[in-house]
Amino acid sequence: MKKSLLLGNEAIAFGALKAGVGIATGYPGTPSTEIIETLQRFRDRYVEWSVNEKVAFETAYGASITGAYSLVAMKHVGLNVASDPLMSSSYTGVEGAFVIVSAQDPSMWSSQNEQDNRYYGLMSLIPVIEPYDPQSAYELTVKAFYLSSKVHHPVILSTNTRISHVRGPVEYEEPIPPIFGKLQKKPDKYSLVPDVARRDRQEQLKRWELIQQEIKEFNEIEGDGRKLIIASGVAYSYVKEILPESVRILRLSAPVPLNREQIIKALEDTDEALIVEELEPIVEMQIKSIAYDEGFRIRIHGKDYVPRSGELTPDIVEFAIKKFLGIYYEPKTKVEEYVPPRPPAMCPGCPHRSSFIDIKRGITLGGLSQTFFSGDIGCYSLGILPPFQEQDSLTNMGSSLGIANGIFRATGTIPVAIIGDSTFFHSGLSALANAVYNNLPVLVVVLDNRVTAMTGQNPSPSREIDIANVAKGLGVEYVKEIDPFNLKESTKIIADATNWVKQNKKPALIIAKRACALEVIDKFDKLPIAEVDISKCTGCTICYDYFTCPAIIPREDKKAFIDPVLCIGCGACIPICPYSAISLKGKIPEGWDEVWRS
Amino acid sequence: MEKLDILIAGVGGQGVITLGKIIATSALLSGVKALVAETHGLAQRGGAVNVHVRLGNVYSPLIKKADFLVALEATEALRNLSYTDKETILIVNERVERSVLPRVKMLSLDEIKERLKEYRAIYIPAERVAIDSGNPRGANIVMLSLLMEFGLKKLIDEDKLLSLLDEKNKRVYLAGKESITFLRIR
Ligand code: SF4
Ligand code: SF4
Repeated sequence: MKKSLLLGNEAIAFGALKAGVGIATGYPGTPSTEIIETLQRFRDRYVEWSVNEKVAFETAYGASITGAYSLVAMKHVGLNVASDPLMSSSYTGVEGAFVIVSAQDPSMWSSQNEQDNRYYGLMSLIPVIEPYDPQSAYELTVKAFYLSSKVHHPVILSTNTRISHVRGPVEYEEPIPPIFGKLQKKPDKYSLVPDVARRDRQEQLKRWELIQQEIKEFNEIEGDGRKLIIASGVAYSYVKEILPESVRILRLSAPVPLNREQIIKALEDTDEALIVEELEPIVEMQIKSIAYDEGFRIRIHGKDYVPRSGELTPDIVEFAIKKFLGIYYEPKTKVEEYVPPRPPAMCPGCPHRSSFIDIKRGITLGGLSQTFFSGDIGCYSLGILPPFQEQDSLTNMGSSLGIANGIFRATGTIPVAIIGDSTFFHSGLSALANAVYNNLPVLVVVLDNRVTAMTGQNPSPSREIDIANVAKGLGVEYVKEIDPFNLKESTKIIADATNWVKQNKKPALIIAKRACALEVIDKFDKLPIAEVDISKCTGCTICYDYFTCPAIIPREDKKAFIDPVLCIGCGACIPICPYSAISLKGKIPEGWDEVWRS
Repeated sequence: MEKLDILIAGVGGQGVITLGKIIATSALLSGVKALVAETHGLAQRGGAVNVHVRLGNVYSPLIKKADFLVALEATEALRNLSYTDKETILIVNERVERSVLPRVKMLSLDEIKERLKEYRAIYIPAERVAIDSGNPRGANIVMLSLLMEFGLKKLIDEDKLLSLLDEKNKRVYLAGKESITFLRIR
């Protein structure tokens, strides 16, 4: 037994190792990414970043139908991409063990919605396990594998930001050797033609009943009193901290499904109950239905006391508990309005900043007086902020091209679709094929920085597959690469491409290729830095107000100053200054250009 | 067991998460339970970030009321005032970093101090101290040594903490400690 300070995600990885995971796959997404990153350190198993969540899901699921122990990890919205195989996996069940980690992001710290994936458990008839801290994340992952192998059914492990990204002391045991599968074929179970599917459906319902029995051991009653608090997942941590005496807690580490006898037992001798759960009333609905069926005539509170949106906080939970117990409590006040906003920004040296400038200038030069910037998911989503404002929509992975199609069909406006390299392979490919197939006049710009940067620079397929070749192979006739830092040339090529789209009424594709700045600075000890020649600077504000590299700071007299601690010497600001006041000083390290362009 | 809640606030890239990690690791080495809640992802660079560090007999990942608010950037102290009350000790780096949104008016350090005058605040030019001791990126360690001096020592063993720092950061740590003679709580 070891004890270390682990991130919740690391604890999940160690749980999987302890259970004998043999195959693990995922697509990076906050807050799930570190699970696969941790597992990658163990070379005796197969661990991959897949191109998207559906492929990751199918890989892990495929392994588990041969008897392997497998895991797939993704953020909550990723499960939407994988929902097709998810539903089927519940029909067939598995041979080994299959754990689906779905990391939720209540309050949307880095997501476009806060859907509650416990609904997927209810819909697909797959049990959902919900830890409440890093230690329980470890233990429950092990148990999730055991449950899956025992009932031969997939299991969803639902985590969230306040479990995945919390560090805490975790006691854990050594990994056991990986469990792989052996070739076996059961088409009468795994080939879901109607006859098989109908039979599997009956089997699935039988397994679901079995699961309702087995799930009991994930939950526990503590304390006593005639008032009952039912806390699911992370809610338990908050309740536990605030808990007054004379209240009983039912800790639910498995909110889906519930075990009827366990709930009945908890509701007996109870005068009034409060259900504390994050987001949707999943537990509340199930409990109220059981209570109604069983003829309980007690008040059950839930979403009337606990908000349905946003993550739980100690304050929110304390407010709910005190209200439940009839104690006055005043919740905390909000942030004062006078505090200036500070949203995240593209890094100093980020190639996307330059790309956004190039795109804006290029399409104007190409005669596109107005357009719709159809955006996508990645670091470049920050292009929504001023001064760029080049993301008029961004709704889901790969949305740029599909939405652009809709915009053009409805308005006749030629759209610009902006998509990252990783996202392009994740779900841009089929939409690009659609654009060619249906003759969509669109300027597609692929921002290729060679990594999935937003989640911590995970490698992207663009390192192995040439995007220009892919686009040509799919039938795009106008394909060109640009260097976003070369303002003049890039602007000209984008203008050309814009013209070409207007004339030919077909898609054109530009690849803006330069490495993620973080990748570059990691590789060099000493960086050049940019400097402003104060005698040349006119204080025109362009470099800090329109280009907005965080390293460029306005002085009192409006002239520019470059912060030597923040500047990484990328040189992108040099062509931006109309008065040639910016230059680089310091030696350019050897291999500098190659790394930027690799 | 004693409980201690520390909220670390700053701007992405200032070492906010590293600071939380060092405190928690040294707590664990000192036999004290620690929970650190961080938000990764989009909020990482240039944006406002905070890390909740909880020590002792604790369950909830998030702080309700902080015993200490450590602000690596002065504006961020204001942003996180809802986690404090008049008992909270604020340790504030005298640095105001611009928000990259164009034309956002920042508050000056004096304006920030004015807003905080009812609070128990300690100010330190942490960058200055860090640069003077030879590690320009060590401002977070300066803040750490202040935090230790002003109360963290009751839970964390200083030697255990020092064992986690390399030579460069140890120097910064000691420089931070020395600077304390000039400070006073308002
Ligand atoms: S763009 Fe050039 S002239 Fe204008 S403020 Fe910046 S450095 Fe000065
Ligand atoms: S060289 Fe210019 S654009 Fe690049 S990091 Fe330095 S100030 Fe920013």
